[in-house]
Amino acid sequence: MTLVSSSSSQRDTSFAGAGAHVAWFRRLQPSGLLWIVLAAILAVLIVAPVGMLVMKSFTHPDSGGFTIQNYIDAYGKARHVQALVNTLYMGAAVVVLSLLFAVPLAWACTRTNMPGRNLIRFGIFGAFVMPPYLGGVGWILLAGPNSGWLNVAWQWLTGGTESIVNIFSFPGLVLVMAINTYFTIFILVSAAFEMINSEMEDAANILGAGPFTTAMKVTLPLVLPSILGSALLTFLISIALYGVPALISIPARFPVVVIQLSEFFSFPLRIEVAAAYSIPLLLITAGLLTLQKKVLSRKGYTAVSGKGGERRIVNLGKWRWAAFAYSLFVVMLSVIMPLLVLVMAAFSKSWVGGLSLDNLTLQNFHYVLFEHSSSQKALVTSLATGAAAATAAILLALAIAYIVQRRLLPMSEVLAFLSMSPFVIPGIVLAIGFYAVYALPPVGLYGTYLILILAFTTRFLPVAYTTSMAGVRAIHPEMEEAVRILGGGRLVAVRKVVGPLLKRTLASGWLLIFVPAAQELSTAVFLVGPNTRVVSVVLLDMSEEGLLERLSALGSVLLVIIVAVMAIGVRFLGRDFMLRRS
Amino acid sequence: MLKQTLSLVLMAALSPLAAHAQSENFSEHEQALYEAAKEEGEVIWYTSQFTTEMSEAACELFMKRYEGITCSPVRATGGVTFQRIMQEVQAGAVQGDILSTNDQTDLIELKKLDALEQFVPNGIETMSPVLKGMNDSDGYFFVSSVSPYGITYNTNLVSEEEAPKSWSDLLDPKWKDQVAIAHPGFSGSAGLWTLAMRDLYGWEYFEKLEVGKPQIGRSIADGYNLVVSGERKVAVTAIALSRQGAVDGQPVATVTPSEGLMLPPSGTAILAAAPHPNAAKLFAEFMLTEEYSVWLRDLQRYPLHADVDTAEGIDPLDPDKVLIVPAQEAIEGLAEVQEKFRDTFGI
Repeated sequence: MTLVSSSSSQRDTSFAGAGAHVAWFRRLQPSGLLWIVLAAILAVLIVAPVGMLVMKSFTHPDSGGFTIQNYIDAYGKARHVQALVNTLYMGAAVVVLSLLFAVPLAWACTRTNMPGRNLIRFGIFGAFVMPPYLGGVGWILLAGPNSGWLNVAWQWLTGGTESIVNIFSFPGLVLVMAINTYFTIFILVSAAFEMINSEMEDAANILGAGPFTTAMKVTLPLVLPSILGSALLTFLISIALYGVPALISIPARFPVVVIQLSEFFSFPLRIEVAAAYSIPLLLITAGLLTLQKKVLSRKGYTAVSGKGGERRIVNLGKWRWAAFAYSLFVVMLSVIMPLLVLVMAAFSKSWVGGLSLDNLTLQNFHYVLFEHSSSQKALVTSLATGAAAATAAILLALAIAYIVQRRLLPMSEVLAFLSMSPFVIPGIVLAIGFYAVYALPPVGLYGTYLILILAFTTRFLPVAYTTSMAGVRAIHPEMEEAVRILGGGRLVAVRKVVGPLLKRTLASGWLLIFVPAAQELSTAVFLVGPNTRVVSVVLLDMSEEGLLERLSALGSVLLVIIVAVMAIGVRFLGRDFMLRRS
Repeated sequence: MLKQTLSLVLMAALSPLAAHAQSENFSEHEQALYEAAKEEGEVIWYTSQFTTEMSEAACELFMKRYEGITCSPVRATGGVTFQRIMQEVQAGAVQGDILSTNDQTDLIELKKLDALEQFVPNGIETMSPVLKGMNDSDGYFFVSSVSPYGITYNTNLVSEEEAPKSWSDLLDPKWKDQVAIAHPGFSGSAGLWTLAMRDLYGWEYFEKLEVGKPQIGRSIADGYNLVVSGERKVAVTAIALSRQGAVDGQPVATVTPSEGLMLPPSGTAILAAAPHPNAAKLFAEFMLTEEYSVWLRDLQRYPLHADVDTAEGIDPLDPDKVLIVPAQEAIEGLAEVQEKFRDTFGI
């Protein structure tokens, strides 16, 4: 009985009431089997890699016994601790800058009469499509300390030899990170702004507050939970990003955790130390999430509801042009400028050659499409693994969301919790866990497509789950009940009612996963084999050799393909499928 | 039926040609390896000794000579390549067939782990005498390229008189923010260069170098490209890159430092659990052919074959005038200088 009491209380009663036989038998009903299958999949995707990571961190590499030596090796050096401190510092700075970029834009786009709102939305959407490392390369071309375009332009204007910007610096690193992460805040905070009704703002107006006072004192506090939540998410994304630090923090001499982790992954390969080194990252993220829950639970935010009242657009008067100028500035920094130099470099013989016919060439495209040994295959691999992972994640998440929402099985919260948990696991840490469990024998998946697909599926499962949950929640059970009254089973109801109704949600969720998955680097970097290289890894190798023109060409090809897939999606789903998520 | 007839006709038309070519060029040993390799159909070549572009060109050449075998180069820096192979060896899932690296200590480590196959190519007989002595005495790896480190500078930004003449000139304050080097933690050969400089001038060299804030890249090719673009004026790099760049019209020139070029002889070895062992052996033989050495020469690199001279304007390698880090010293010292480098440069 002591064994049994450690499991849930619900089960306890059934055990105590009807005897163990019936309970076991009941659990083997088809629905119970489904639970077991889903739980097993999640165990494979999440529990095993993370569990292995924790276990490895306490395992002696040779004897296999318990040890804390790995932690001593990982944190016994000032430089290693410094990298962790640097990472937190960088994460905080990225959050601040991302908020400065995203919150004003979200407000201006959703609640004001700023001109060109759709244009700005479209631009920010570009920030979603552009992978972080390409933004980074764009900024290296723009702000390289000696020959970056901005510095050359400045020297040309002033006739001096001074440089004004240096991307290989802490501010540079933070800028490149922020232009890649502010999109998340924009989406989440925009959604919150659209939920607020105007009654309280009206009250403030009646009492004599101007539009900005109202925004600061009424509107902003109302969306604070969204801001905090998305800020936290941004923090987690930025501390785990691999590509940007690889490009910028090495020349900037600013060691961060992901770079240190790659050191543990070089010779002598020290997975155990790498595991130990990444545990604090996990603890920090888990701690922050708990803190967020506590802070938010203390206050009532019921004013933010989808119902009642109407939302009025704030008239900014002459300030609306100032708002537009700022929004355009952010879009310029994050999308237009880096994209422009990237495309120009892709068509140049030498990116420093400037705009001239002599310098114009298609050779870079020819090279990456037809001559380079692996980029063609890598493009296919990236798109295929991205599509496979997006499909797998959506199907799995949908099944779980449906079960959780309809309360079909006991303990479905466990499935829900597991589905959301990869959210707190940095991509590179997940990759180490996957490597430790599945790459090595007896499983031996190293160098297969399967390990990439599994890892990508896990990485993007939370996005899939959130989308599926929102979709399922919107469908009233009445319609399924009608099917069942007419004699159809649960599966018929799912196939004929739920599926068709969810088509749109699923498709947009699929795209939301496909885009980042086809560009994923952090998880891929330790898991690819010679035949399974994805584009992001090929791009990283090109950056290592300094082949920026060719890198730009391959990056442009990747962007064109992804934008084309998105365009098809937009055609079927409507333009605002991404920007109106709740 | 039609297909069969067609293929028969084609085979009949082509076979005399093919047979002719093979009987003339291929030795019996080579022919036997070729037949066995054709069965395997592919060779996966892990390499850090060349740039991606050169690795691909070498593969093209191989595929032309040995029709029916696909050659797939996987190019990365020495550190990354070694990390990958160690991962594979540990995973018991070796995917590559043959490995070429600028850092022979990696090969020695792998040899210790029984991860290499003992194989001495026949072609070793025709190797230039200077290089022959650098092959592994136990027959686990051989010298497959020589790409010495020197200094390159941007001719648009630096005149010949101004250009550094020696390794110690790089410490001159006038090069502040203008030098590019590679990180020994990523690039294997940069590790050897770090050892060579330490042996010459002590660790002080790097403390002084740090004052000038050199840009630190992950690969030695990165520094060269930084100089081409003008982002940096001078770089420590493989001189083969800048010699070839100069021929191609890039604004770069090469300096042979007065202390001597730093020579990391690149080594090639066949991996013990290679999925395509015969193709790997064929590729090893291919690297020692005259054809391959001519190709190297035309790219301003040092040929391996005794009968092929260096390109015009390039002096043959003088073993007395190069800096060589003995393998034993490299094995013992590499981890230490990597660590010291990280401490000094903060990354």
